[in-house]
Amino acid sequence: MSIYDFMTMRHELILVCLVLLVLIIDLNLKKSQKHRIIPIAISLFFIHTVIGFLPAQTGELFGGMYKTTGLTILMKNILNVGVLIILFQSTTWLKKEENGEKISEFYILLLSTLVGMNFMISSGDFLMLYLGLELATIPMAALAAYTHHQSRSAEAGIKLILSSALSSGILLFGLSLIYGSTGSIYFDTVGALYSNAPMQVLAFIFFFTGMAFKISLVPFHLWTADVYEGSPVNVTSYFSVISKGASAFILIMVMYTVFHSIAYLWKDIVYLVAVLTMTIGNLFALRQKNMKRFLAFSSIAQAGFILLGIIGGNKIGMTATVYFVLVYIFSNLGAFGVISAISAKTGKESMDDYDGLYATNPKLTLLMMLSVFSLAGIPPVAGFFGKFFLFTSAASGGYYWLVFIAVLNATISLYYYLLVVKAMFINKNDTPIAFFKSDIMTRIGLFVCALGIFVIGFWSQVYEFIDKLTFAIIN
Amino acid sequence: MTGSIPLQYFLVISTLMFFTGIYGFLTRKNLITMLMSIELILNAVNINFVAFNRYLYPQNLQGHFFTLIIIAIAAAEAAVAIAIIINIYRNFRSIDVDNVDEMKF
Amino acid sequence: MNSEVMFYLLAGMILVFSVLTVTSRKILRAAVYLLFVLISTAAIYFMLEYTFLAAVQLTVYAGGIVVLIIFSVLLTSHISEKAIMADRRQSLMSALAVVAGALLTLFTILRFTFTPSAEPAHTSTVTDVGNALISYDRNGFALPFEVISILLLAALIGAIIVARKEKDGIVLMKNKNLSK
Repeated sequence: MSIYDFMTMRHELILVCLVLLVLIIDLNLKKSQKHRIIPIAISLFFIHTVIGFLPAQTGELFGGMYKTTGLTILMKNILNVGVLIILFQSTTWLKKEENGEKISEFYILLLSTLVGMNFMISSGDFLMLYLGLELATIPMAALAAYTHHQSRSAEAGIKLILSSALSSGILLFGLSLIYGSTGSIYFDTVGALYSNAPMQVLAFIFFFTGMAFKISLVPFHLWTADVYEGSPVNVTSYFSVISKGASAFILIMVMYTVFHSIAYLWKDIVYLVAVLTMTIGNLFALRQKNMKRFLAFSSIAQAGFILLGIIGGNKIGMTATVYFVLVYIFSNLGAFGVISAISAKTGKESMDDYDGLYATNPKLTLLMMLSVFSLAGIPPVAGFFGKFFLFTSAASGGYYWLVFIAVLNATISLYYYLLVVKAMFINKNDTPIAFFKSDIMTRIGLFVCALGIFVIGFWSQVYEFIDKLTFAIIN
Repeated sequence: MTGSIPLQYFLVISTLMFFTGIYGFLTRKNLITMLMSIELILNAVNINFVAFNRYLYPQNLQGHFFTLIIIAIAAAEAAVAIAIIINIYRNFRSIDVDNVDEMKF
Repeated sequence: MNSEVMFYLLAGMILVFSVLTVTSRKILRAAVYLLFVLISTAAIYFMLEYTFLAAVQLTVYAGGIVVLIIFSVLLTSHISEKAIMADRRQSLMSALAVVAGALLTLFTILRFTFTPSAEPAHTSTVTDVGNALISYDRNGFALPFEVISILLLAALIGAIIVARKEKDGIVLMKNKNLSK
């Protein structure tokens, strides 16, 4: 192994350096200057994002524990762009008085979890998968409990860490049985030896249950809404978009590379979970009044749609899933960005507060409308294509009933997404949220989301590019 | 040193311990005791890994190292969880789940 | 013969104290029962000749985590305080579900025939553990070893952020020291 081999894990190495750099710079800032870390951290992360797009080496390191392929690089880049948007959007909130002394820690914790996700995406064995998963959740719990003066924040933190520890335990029990029956923790060896013996099926069920907790699929979703509501808005958006995207991605990879020999079995399980997740997520979203809770349940339903791509079990499914995650990042971050901007300035998070928003803040309203349309999958915007490709992949696998249920659910979701639009445009309100202007960085973050929703939808090269990369994975 | 003890005995212990931990997690109402149930679950997993490693695949140390990493992560997890529990205690003056429920469905 | 007696003794201790950990009404006692479970597990690691692992189990788990738990019990509740338990119906339902799950799992595991590997056994002295820990080939664990250092750093910072008192600016040192 030569020094040049480390270029293969460029993403992770640069991120680790960033974490340490922020830590060291913070030590040299006086108490009154702590906010200066904001532009520094954002520009450093911007450089990292740009470097990520430069052509990179692919290959394996550490005897197969770490793998880089074109698809993992793409996924990491997608996550980087998402995190960059969140960093831009979070500036207004971070500059508030109450966060005065712990701004740098926000960046350190956030970037550490991103390191974990990157290692998780690149993992070639179950140990790195578990380690990445934990690195992505333990600092997250601290971020969820970031706001001290709100007891809800601490409540979100403890709910997150206890439920994630339980799910890790279940996941690990499955992994130990997998190790016992195959004698290896490496994906390639396990994949070659896996069969449909009852114990191995049981091991898979434990594994899947643990992962379902992490992506908050029904019936393992109960912790999600409380955690989403209690955490600071920007942490919630990070949670619902970046964490979920990374976990869903690695779940697909493992399902196809390791458990392909029992695919006929897990497809039934995923079928059931997909139907439950879409339906229950939607039904709960219908009755939410808090915007964060509303998006939490709608994001549970969206995770159900992602399962359609997994179940399709073909190349289109993989491409469609990555494409959907890309679209979902921009649309959900757009919606969360608006909520975050309003919450940071006024502290209002209830849906009733959004009545008549168009009259006072037309730009924010338009972005919210665009994001919500994209989440619902209304034709001209990107979200429509994301859902369309997922449905195509499931239909080409012969799952017509599943597609029917999914379309039905998409219609229900259209209703509650339109409720938000109705509140902003039509509902009358005597005391609407007054006109305000966020700082320049927040506005950049919001603008990028709007741009992304349009560009990905209309520029077909994006889909073709992902399609080219996934070819290598499935075969 | 294990003599004639079959592998299955270890698996029975760890499985029973695992489900005891799950039972504790479901019935306990105090945050710290819930954390203790999780430690039981992780410990059961560790016994599994170690026994498999020793009995079936002693040619390398994969199970051994998996256990080592789990122990380290459990320590980190416990530290963060207890930090949050202390924070909750400051806010609620209680660490029972029934009192920590500002948010409802 | 001796090792068998030892094993049954340890197995009995683990099971009894596990059940006591999750059913004891006094929190501090539950913590001590947990300590017994963890020490018995360390003894099992010794029996399996994983001495390094047993030492880690004793220092980190028994010495670190349990002490942390006992500290937090003392900080947050009175020694004599009784833990609130779930109501009878919930306990019964959980017990039923757990027993069913345990039976199913045991049944499946015991029916499976494990085939031991034919390859010669590797020793597990501290030298072997150390070599594997810094090896970057297959069956080497240099990468997880490095990644977990990032995790510990992040957990350390996270614990400080959460437990820090803000109003008077006093950092609560307890968590910081213990989480190291």
